[in-house]
Amino acid sequence: MMDFGFTLSKSSTINLDTVDTTLYKKLCDMEPDARICMSCGSCSASCTAASFSGMSLRKVILALQRDQDVRPMLANCMLCGKCTMVCPRAINTRHLILTLYRIYDR
Amino acid sequence: MIDRIPSGFHPFVLPFLFGMIFVLSYCVFGIVRILWQLPKQDVRKFLLSLINPKIIVKNIWEIFRDCLIHVKLWKRNKLLGYMHSSIAFGWFMLILLGHVEVFLFVPERIHMFYYPIFFNYFVAEGPDVTLQGSLLMFLMDLFLLIVLSGIVLAIIKRVHSRFFGMRRTARPSLLNQIGLYALWAIFPLRLLAESFTAHISGGSFLTIPANWIFRQFLGNDLNMLPTWWAYSIALCVFMCVLPFTRYMHIPAEMMLIPMRNAGIKIRDSRKGFAKLQVYSCPNCGVCIDACPMSVNRSHLKDCTVYLTRQMRRGNEKRIEEISDKCLLCGKCHSVCQVQVEGPQLRIMERSRRHYNLSPDYSNIDTQPLTETASHGKVLYFSGCMSQLTPAIGQSVESILKKAGVDYVWMDRDGGLCCGRPLLTAGRAEAAKELVHKNEEIIIGSGADTLLVSCPICYKMFTEEYHLPGIRVVHYSHYFSELVQQDKIRLEKSDLCYVFHDPCELGRGCGIYDEPRKLIGKSASIAEAEKNREESICCGGSLGSLTLSFAQREEMTRAALENLYTSRADAIATACPLCLATFARYSDRPVRDLAEIIDAQSSSTQKGNQ
Amino acid sequence: MKENIVIIGGGIAGMEAAKQLLILGYTPIIIEQEDHLGGHVAQWHKLFPDMTSSHELIGNLSDQIKDANVFLETKVNSINALGDSYNVILNNGVNIVAKAILIAAGFHLFDAAKKEEYGYGVYDRVITNADLEAWFNHRADERIPEKPKAVGFVHCVGSRDLKAGNSQCSKVCCTTAIKQAIEIKEIFPETEVYCFYMDLRLFGKKYEDFYINAQRDFGVHFIRGRVSEVGETIDNRVQVKAEDTLTGKPLKVTLDLLVLMSGMVCNPRTSELAGMIGLNIDDDGFLKSKDNVYTIMESNQPGIFYAGACTGTKTVPETVAEARAAVLSIHHYLTQA
Repeated sequence: MMDFGFTLSKSSTINLDTVDTTLYKKLCDMEPDARICMSCGSCSASCTAASFSGMSLRKVILALQRDQDVRPMLANCMLCGKCTMVCPRAINTRHLILTLYRIYDR
Repeated sequence: MIDRIPSGFHPFVLPFLFGMIFVLSYCVFGIVRILWQLPKQDVRKFLLSLINPKIIVKNIWEIFRDCLIHVKLWKRNKLLGYMHSSIAFGWFMLILLGHVEVFLFVPERIHMFYYPIFFNYFVAEGPDVTLQGSLLMFLMDLFLLIVLSGIVLAIIKRVHSRFFGMRRTARPSLLNQIGLYALWAIFPLRLLAESFTAHISGGSFLTIPANWIFRQFLGNDLNMLPTWWAYSIALCVFMCVLPFTRYMHIPAEMMLIPMRNAGIKIRDSRKGFAKLQVYSCPNCGVCIDACPMSVNRSHLKDCTVYLTRQMRRGNEKRIEEISDKCLLCGKCHSVCQVQVEGPQLRIMERSRRHYNLSPDYSNIDTQPLTETASHGKVLYFSGCMSQLTPAIGQSVESILKKAGVDYVWMDRDGGLCCGRPLLTAGRAEAAKELVHKNEEIIIGSGADTLLVSCPICYKMFTEEYHLPGIRVVHYSHYFSELVQQDKIRLEKSDLCYVFHDPCELGRGCGIYDEPRKLIGKSASIAEAEKNREESICCGGSLGSLTLSFAQREEMTRAALENLYTSRADAIATACPLCLATFARYSDRPVRDLAEIIDAQSSSTQKGNQ
Repeated sequence: MKENIVIIGGGIAGMEAAKQLLILGYTPIIIEQEDHLGGHVAQWHKLFPDMTSSHELIGNLSDQIKDANVFLETKVNSINALGDSYNVILNNGVNIVAKAILIAAGFHLFDAAKKEEYGYGVYDRVITNADLEAWFNHRADERIPEKPKAVGFVHCVGSRDLKAGNSQCSKVCCTTAIKQAIEIKEIFPETEVYCFYMDLRLFGKKYEDFYINAQRDFGVHFIRGRVSEVGETIDNRVQVKAEDTLTGKPLKVTLDLLVLMSGMVCNPRTSELAGMIGLNIDDDGFLKSKDNVYTIMESNQPGIFYAGACTGTKTVPETVAEARAAVLSIHHYLTQA
C-alpha cells in the first residue's frame, strides 16, 4: 500500500451492517427486558450515579446495540434501585446491570 | 432386676451398634470439618465460649428449650409443638431412663452402650419387685406412650397437613422418606418387643396388658427375638440414613446453638457456620407459608427450606435461582425454629458470583457534598428512594422547622447511596467503598446527630458505618423525643391507621413500638392480622434481584389484603419503598409516619406559632 | 312507534348519539351520574386544533337534545335481559325497557397523586391539565402564580406507564399540552415554557401545525425526556429533573408551575356495567369491542353498543364520529330485527 503520510480518520458513522451486537444479544438472552426500553430517560434522570460518571442506563442499552464501550458508565452504578422504581416499562434494571457486569468480558 | 443373659450380648444388637458407630463417627468428622473451615479467630471465640459459665448455662438451657421441648414451635402451633416435643423429649427420656435403669440395677454393664437401649431383653424381674423398679418401668411406658402419640400425629400430618393448620409442607425426598418410615417404625417395634418380653423382664401399664393379650393367641416366646431384631434394624436404618436426611438437624442443632451463642457469623455460604445452619434446617416447612412469595405457586420452591435442601444436594442452578429471587424480608428467619439465617445465606451466596466488571467509586469527589457544613447540627439523610416520595422529606423538614431544630438536609439535591443495596446484592467490597465516601461526608459536616428516615439506610448506618461521636437516630425515635421534650405537640385526628412494619425497620432493626406510639398519639391505630415480626413484605424490596414487576404485584396485593383485615381507614408505614409500592395498588390512602406526624403536630416554639 | 334507547353516560358521545337518535325518531334516555351533561368536555376551556369553545359546543348540543329524556345524578343499578330487550333499573327506582343500550360511559382522568414522585398534592406549584383548564375558565387557583417565570408540562402522566397500571397512550395529551403551552404563552408572553415529552404523537389534522406554531410563534421549548423527580426549592418553586435524552445529559430546571398531563384511564364504573350484562373487558381495563378496526361500536352482546372513550382513549372528533356510527348500528339492528 502506498503511504500518503497520513491516515484517514475512522468514520464516525455507525454502520449497522457491520456492527457487532453479540453482547447485546447475550444481554437480551439473559435479561429479555433489555429489548423493551423506549429510551424515555427516566432511569438516567433519577440515577444517583449520573452526576458522578454520566451513567445512563438508557445510553448503555443503546450503546450496546451500536457496539460502543459502556464500561466507564457502569462502573459508578450503586445498584440503588431508583431506576427500577421509575421505569415506565417496568424493566428490572438492577438485574439488567448485574447481568451486564457478568457478561462483559471484552 | 437381675441379668438374664450371662454374656450380656446377643447378635441382634449388632445392627444398632453399627448404626450408632456410623452416625457418631460421621458427626465427629462433621464437627472437626466445620471447625477446620472456620476462620482462626472464630474457632478461638467458639472454644473460649465453651468454658464461659454464663454461655454454658445458656447453651444447655437453649438446647433443652429448642431441641427437646420446641418452645418456639409450641408458640406457633400447639399441635405441631406437641408432636415434636413428644417425640424429641419422650425419646430423650427413654434413653436417659434406660441409662438410669442400667446404672441402678446392673451397673457393671454401663460400659456396654447398647445395654440401656435393649435393657428389657437382657434383664429378668427379680424375686422382689422394688418400688424404684416399678416406678422406672412405669415411666418408661409413659414416655413410650408419649412418643407413640407423637408418631400418630406425625402420620396424620403426613396424610393431612391441614389438620395442623399448615397449608403447605416440604415434600420429602426418597432418603427422607426412608428415614421417616424408620423413625415411625422404631417405637411401635419397641413397644412390641418390650411387650413380648414383659412376662420375663416385667413392665408397666402398657407392656404388661399387651403381653397378656399377645400370649393369649401367640402363645410362646418365639415372637420375642424377631421383634427385638426388627427394633434394632429400624434403629440401624434410621441412624444410617440420618446424615443424608433432614434428621441431621438433630445433632446439627446441638452444635448450632453453642456456635450462635459464641457470636459466630456467616462468612461464607458454603463453609463453617453456614454449613452448620444448612444441616440444622429440620425441613419443617414453616417458612413456606411464611414466605411472601408463596402467594404464587410458582415460587413455592424458592423458600429457605428448599435453599438448604439444594445446598445439601449441590444443585448450583437452583441455588442461584433461589438466592437471587428472594426479597430478603427476613420472615423465614423470624419464624424459623432453629433460626436458620435464610437471607444471610442468600447474600453470601450472591457474593460468590463472578463478575467481569466491578464498580469503582474512587472518582467520586465528596468535597462539594461536604460543603453543607453543619457543626453541632442535625444532619438529615433521606436516602435515594425518598427522592421519589417527596412527601417524606417535606414532612420531616416541616416537623424539624416546627420544633425549631437546626438542621441540614444532606441529600436534598441528591447524595450517595448508603450502600445497602450493594451489600444485599452480594457486593460487600463495593458497598464498603460507598460507606467510606459517606463517612467522609458525614464526619466532614461536623454534625453530631444523623437523622435517618429510610429504614434501609438506617440499618446500614447502624450496622456498617463507623461514625465516632455522631448519634445515628431513626426519625421515629427522634420525633418521640421532640414530643417528650414538648418541642412539638400532637393532636389526635379521627382517622384510624394500620401500621405496616417495613421489613428493614421491624425484623431488620427491631423497631416496632416507636412508630406505633407516635401514630397512637396522632390518630387511632388498628392492627393487621399479621404484624410486627410476622409483617408481610410489601413486595417492593430491593432484596430481590430477579423478581419481575408483575410477580411483585401479586405480593403487594397479598400484603395489602393483610393490612385491610384491620379495617383501618388508611395505611401508615415508615419506608419510602413500602409507601410507593403500596400506593400503586391500595384502595385507601397510604401515608408515611412523617406525613401523619406533620399533619397532626403543632409547634410549641416562640415565633413559630 | 318511538323505541326507547338507553344511553349510559351524558358526555359528548352520549349527547351526540341522543341528537342523532332524535333525528331518526327514537326516544333516547340519557343516564348521567353527574349533575350536568357534557362530561369532561364541559370542564374544558377550548378544544384543539381550532380552539373551539367547549362551552359553546356543549351548549349547542344541549339545545339540540331538549326532547331527550335525561336523568341526572342517576346510576344504573342493574340490567337484566328480558327476551330481546333489556330491563334497566336505575337507582331512583325507575325501570326502563329498551331493545338497545348505548354505553358511552367515557373515561377517568388519571389520579396524578398516584405518581408520588411528581408531588401532586405535596407541592403547591404542581397542578394537572384539568386544573389548568379550570383556571382558564374561572381564573381562580391559588397555585398559579401571578407572573410565572417558567412553566413546565409533563407529558404521559399515568399513560404509557406500566407502573401506573396503564400501558396505553392517551392520544390527546401531546396536543393538549401544546395547546395549553400556547395559551400560557398568550397570557404570560414573558414566561419560558418547557414541554417534557417521550414521543410527540401529533397524528391528527392540524396537530402538527400546532406544534410548528408553538415552536415558531411562541418559542415553547421541547425537551425529550421523561421527568423522573420533582423537588422543591427553598423559595417554594419546583425543581424538575429529567434526562435531556437528545444531548444525553441529566437536566434540571426550576419552575413556578408544573402541569401534569394526566392521561385517560378506564372508568371503573364500566367494569361494573360489564359485569351486569356479561360484556368483555380488554386487558387495558376498557370495554372490549368486537374488533378494533371495523366494529368498534359493537359489543359481544346483542343490542349493546359502545361510543366514545369507554372502549379506549379517543379525541373529541373521534368520539363524535363514533357516536354517529353507533346510532346507525343501533338503527340497523332495530330495523332488521
